[in-house]
Amino acid sequence: MTPFVYHRPTQLADALALLRDEQARPIAGGMTLIPTLKQGLAQPAALVDLAGIDVLYGIRLADGVIEIGAMTRHYDVATSPLVIAHLPGLADLAGQIGDLQVRNRGTIGGSVANNDPAADYPAAVLALCAEVVTDRRSISADAFFTGMFETALEPGEIVTAVRFPAPRRCAYAKFANPVSGYALAGVFVGVHAEGTRVAVTGAGPCVFRASAIEAVLARDPAAASFDAALLGPDGLASDLHASAAYRAQLARVLAARAVARLT
Amino acid sequence: MKMTGEYRIAAPRNRVWDAINDPEILQHCIPGCEAITRNTPTNWTARVTAKVGPVKARFQGNIRLEDLDPPSSCRIVGEGSGGAAGFARGEATVQLDADGTDATVLRYTAQAQVGGKLAQIGSRLIDSFAQRYADDFFAQLAAILGGERDLAVAAAVQPEAPAPSAPHVPADAEPGAAVTRDDRPDASFPASAAKRFDSQSFTIVVLSLLLVFMTVMYALKP
Amino acid sequence: MLRFGVNVGAKFGIGQAVRRAEDRRFVAGSGRYVGDIVLPGMAHAVVVYSQHAHGMIRSIDTSRASAMPGVIAVLTGADAVADGIGGLPPYFMPADSGGPPGYRTIRPILVADRVRCIGDRIAVVIAESERQARDAAAAIDVDIAPLPAVVSPDAAAAPGAPLVWDDCPGNACFTLAFGDVAATEAAFARAAHVVALTIHNNRISANSIEPRCAVGCFDPATAGFVLHTSSQNPHGVRKVLAQSVLHVPENDIRVISPDVGGGFGMKADAYPEDAIVLWAARRLGRPVKWVGTRSEALMGDNHGRDQTADAALALDEHGRALGLRLTARHALGAYVASATVAPITFAMRMLPGVYDIPAVAVRTTATFTNCSPTGPYRGAGRPEACFALERLMDMAARAIGIDRVDIRRRNLISADQMPYTTAVGVTYDSGDFGAMMDRCLSLADWSGFPERQRQTEAKGWLRGRAVTSYLESAGVFNDRMELRFDPEGNVTILAGTHSHGQGHATVFPQLIHEWLGLPYDKIKYIQGDTDKVAFGRGTYAARSSMLAGTALHAAAQDAIAKGRTMAAQLLDADIDDIMFADGQYSVGQGNRTIGFADVVKAFYRPIGVPGGLSLGLTTIGTAGGQSPNFPNGAHVCEVEVDPATGAIHIDRYVVVDDVGRILNPMICEGQIVGGIAQGLGQALLEAIVYDPDSGQLLSGSFSDYGMPRPDTMPLHIESELAEIPCKTNVLGVKGVGESGTIAAPPTLVNAVLDALWPLGVTDIAMPLTPARVWTAIDQASKRGAA
Repeated sequence: MTPFVYHRPTQLADALALLRDEQARPIAGGMTLIPTLKQGLAQPAALVDLAGIDVLYGIRLADGVIEIGAMTRHYDVATSPLVIAHLPGLADLAGQIGDLQVRNRGTIGGSVANNDPAADYPAAVLALCAEVVTDRRSISADAFFTGMFETALEPGEIVTAVRFPAPRRCAYAKFANPVSGYALAGVFVGVHAEGTRVAVTGAGPCVFRASAIEAVLARDPAAASFDAALLGPDGLASDLHASAAYRAQLARVLAARAVARLT
Repeated sequence: MKMTGEYRIAAPRNRVWDAINDPEILQHCIPGCEAITRNTPTNWTARVTAKVGPVKARFQGNIRLEDLDPPSSCRIVGEGSGGAAGFARGEATVQLDADGTDATVLRYTAQAQVGGKLAQIGSRLIDSFAQRYADDFFAQLAAILGGERDLAVAAAVQPEAPAPSAPHVPADAEPGAAVTRDDRPDASFPASAAKRFDSQSFTIVVLSLLLVFMTVMYALKP
Repeated sequence: MLRFGVNVGAKFGIGQAVRRAEDRRFVAGSGRYVGDIVLPGMAHAVVVYSQHAHGMIRSIDTSRASAMPGVIAVLTGADAVADGIGGLPPYFMPADSGGPPGYRTIRPILVADRVRCIGDRIAVVIAESERQARDAAAAIDVDIAPLPAVVSPDAAAAPGAPLVWDDCPGNACFTLAFGDVAATEAAFARAAHVVALTIHNNRISANSIEPRCAVGCFDPATAGFVLHTSSQNPHGVRKVLAQSVLHVPENDIRVISPDVGGGFGMKADAYPEDAIVLWAARRLGRPVKWVGTRSEALMGDNHGRDQTADAALALDEHGRALGLRLTARHALGAYVASATVAPITFAMRMLPGVYDIPAVAVRTTATFTNCSPTGPYRGAGRPEACFALERLMDMAARAIGIDRVDIRRRNLISADQMPYTTAVGVTYDSGDFGAMMDRCLSLADWSGFPERQRQTEAKGWLRGRAVTSYLESAGVFNDRMELRFDPEGNVTILAGTHSHGQGHATVFPQLIHEWLGLPYDKIKYIQGDTDKVAFGRGTYAARSSMLAGTALHAAAQDAIAKGRTMAAQLLDADIDDIMFADGQYSVGQGNRTIGFADVVKAFYRPIGVPGGLSLGLTTIGTAGGQSPNFPNGAHVCEVEVDPATGAIHIDRYVVVDDVGRILNPMICEGQIVGGIAQGLGQALLEAIVYDPDSGQLLSGSFSDYGMPRPDTMPLHIESELAEIPCKTNVLGVKGVGESGTIAAPPTLVNAVLDALWPLGVTDIAMPLTPARVWTAIDQASKRGAA
């Protein structure tokens, strides 16, 4: 690990000023960044720790929208009465991330901004039509996740909160890789007034919506299973843990299980 | 890891061939490519900073050109080293076929090996990344050569790729098409495609492929 | 009369579940591991490993690294050669004990010319801090011209395969064969049924919780080396380093292995880093410390298993086994390292296991591959044997159409056949394998399976079960234990064995407490220091209870005998009239007695030690030359499988073990449960994966190498012990350290295959990850549809 300067600002403006330096990196829990630094695979000149900025914490309900501050830890999301009441699928999801240590360190903003293809939160953000709020704008979930580890965030832009409009119902079903705990596949189903959204994480290079399954659910909201043709292996990830065909199978099965959990 | 790909580019074969002789174009097609230098006619060096998620690593690549058959095919063998991060080695065969008079089909078959730390701790991501980088590269190339002037769209494929250290202003560029410094490839590049014809072009195509493999990255899990 | 449960001796004595004396300091964080050692002037080493599986080193550019802050030295293989540093040989080859010749390798501590595996050591940076050393190591440019690599033993044996060693054709290091080929072929010729399968025992890593570490020191005044190393076998390390690497007398090297956080066989040998820190310490005149990382451990530790085998069983029309045949290839990796010949041999010699099989022919070829070396790993060959045999038994039952329990009953060696000599010449002294199996079936409620199966199927899952038996061979070589008494009458045990999780600091004092009657909490235990312990062979292969126990018994008997002479003097009695019981010497009806501690004190009187007795009391016991002992038992596993996802849930796991005389049942159970966890790890998750084309290691972190965790395991492993004393050692003990690891893989795999049998799945290669299980189901359904 090469040396770096460590900043822990208490004001958002100070953090943003520090992050104007291209060589500075924000740290929002560090569950991915710290191991990366230890392996010598990134050499930032400075780390700007967002943990000291009070406005980035907290879970609030206003006008039917649950806003979760970017630095809110997974454990706090999983145990929040507000989230449990209005977004039970999200609380369930947060309680399944990593292990207890990770849930007490990792943050929703860090996870969303990192956009690991096997992370859990992106599925919820996408299926719940969430808005990713940054220091300068609000980005819809559909526009936010642009590719593997890639998002619409510009250099120096940080996530400050995620806003979830309360759905009618929602549920998450995950099949964790027994090796790492990451999702081999995870499916979040959000039922909204405008329709049902089904987002799949872990199975492909980036979270995506299973539009064919959404179409089936539009006709039959209680569909108990999904045909292989609705979600095939094309474009899904294949690695030493699982083939694309297996991930497709998991996504279909988990979609059905998430739908079953809605009731 | 074996990869194959086929891309239809909306430009005649000679134009494709010519255009990809321009190192600046290719530099813009390779995410994070900072420099391409020519050591000997068949030996090239490229420097790339790959940034994927939390990872940022600098690679140095060397390329050897073999079986050159202009303007249709060649085979390139090369390797790139990211120091302690690992290395990439590989070889690729690239084939250009005219598709009518106005289009070209580019096909490649490549075998790549990612080694060292990248393989040891990033294996879950290798295939997906290689594919993504290949897609990005050829999408960018096709966009430039296919006459899509809105290169911002193509550039958006790789929003975090560092821009070249200095914008390239082609000597023969039309004044009105001068480079606007916006971290994006210059829209005038197609007009700047060099007219020369040598082994450089395929070298760089395959160098790009190799850099695709080299920049295969990983993300650590907590 | 067979008893299940424990025969309990004195409080803190034999058979008592005495809590582990060492645990207080371990859980309180006051254990002292090599990584905790900080010495004045200590420098830090980081090793540069080969990123290529096979290739020629063209150049090593150390100039950038050498100029970096804090860097004291950068050393390469050329420096080692220039300093006359040797390399690491195998502990032994078959030829050393009259076996066939083989290709003997020497592993350089730093490779100068040709790398043969990922993780070959190429250079070392020594710097003021570990971080500086690591940064500089990353700045060393190693230019390697790659050569084709081969990573699986089958591929290595194929015609035209790349050669790991140019003068070792076919990558075949040696071939071992046992049994009677003609008799076996005849058995197959007349068999009513033959079943056959091909198996692969996945390559796995020990992953001790404490990675390997070493601190080397050199004192120029005495030319003496001190090595602190996380090892199971400090005297073995000393011998190799003295004789083969540094070329110095053995007594110029002191090896200290303090608290060691697990070894599992992996730490039974010297590693290049052990030699590097000593060599560097001598060159630099400073202590040098190396602490391995988890990724370095996965890459650079010796691995276990990696055997492929074609196995076949011939049976008559009643399901009685007639013949057993197995042809295997066992991967060596790039070097013959450590005691890797042992697992290769055990995998052949222990193949017949608990079954009465008249004709056996086994053959294995130890095969070089461009991988990290293999070595002994918990079970060491016996898991490979048990896996083949128990898989064949289930296959045979299905092929013949008889119950899987019945076929075992028809073939188990019965108690009244003891002593029993197998067709490959191993003689078992004792055991009642059928009783173990019956007890295990009963504890597992085997007969209640149909109802549980109905419940499982009601939720759309499948339920399967298996029963297996295992047999272990425990107690290799010889060993030495010393009892050193002090002037107050206290005793210190100096152990030739080495506990790194086994609880020896608890159990050996239990024995001494029982035999000498000295207060349990006053008995001190020392191990792991070649300057304190005169000699020993360390701990591995479930050897310590028998060898150290027997040696300790001899030392105790000697102490009692010497004390008897002293007691006779003190009690003014004829030596033949002195009795010893419960820690007391007595004469006649016990009206004149003296305690053992008081007798010891008499050995330290400044004047008046009787003629013929020494000043002070130290006794030494040795053990060796006996037959090994044969722990055995039965496992039952019941699983539920989700056919939609391939997920496996272990619903119950029951194990009954004959461990001979039980010394501490709590520690026995801990060993058995821990062993099962490692066996289930191999069966369900663990795999060292190399890319078959490039030889690159793909499972280099715990993100990709699957360790068993609490949620992998059944909620409860029901373990019961049985005492059938071993007849060939004075304590009657049988080893317990490897038992669980041996039978767990076939039990789990057979249970899963039983669940999937209705779907047409007949085999899944370990590890049985959900992806592999589902893929097998998917393929079977496609076959069924075709």
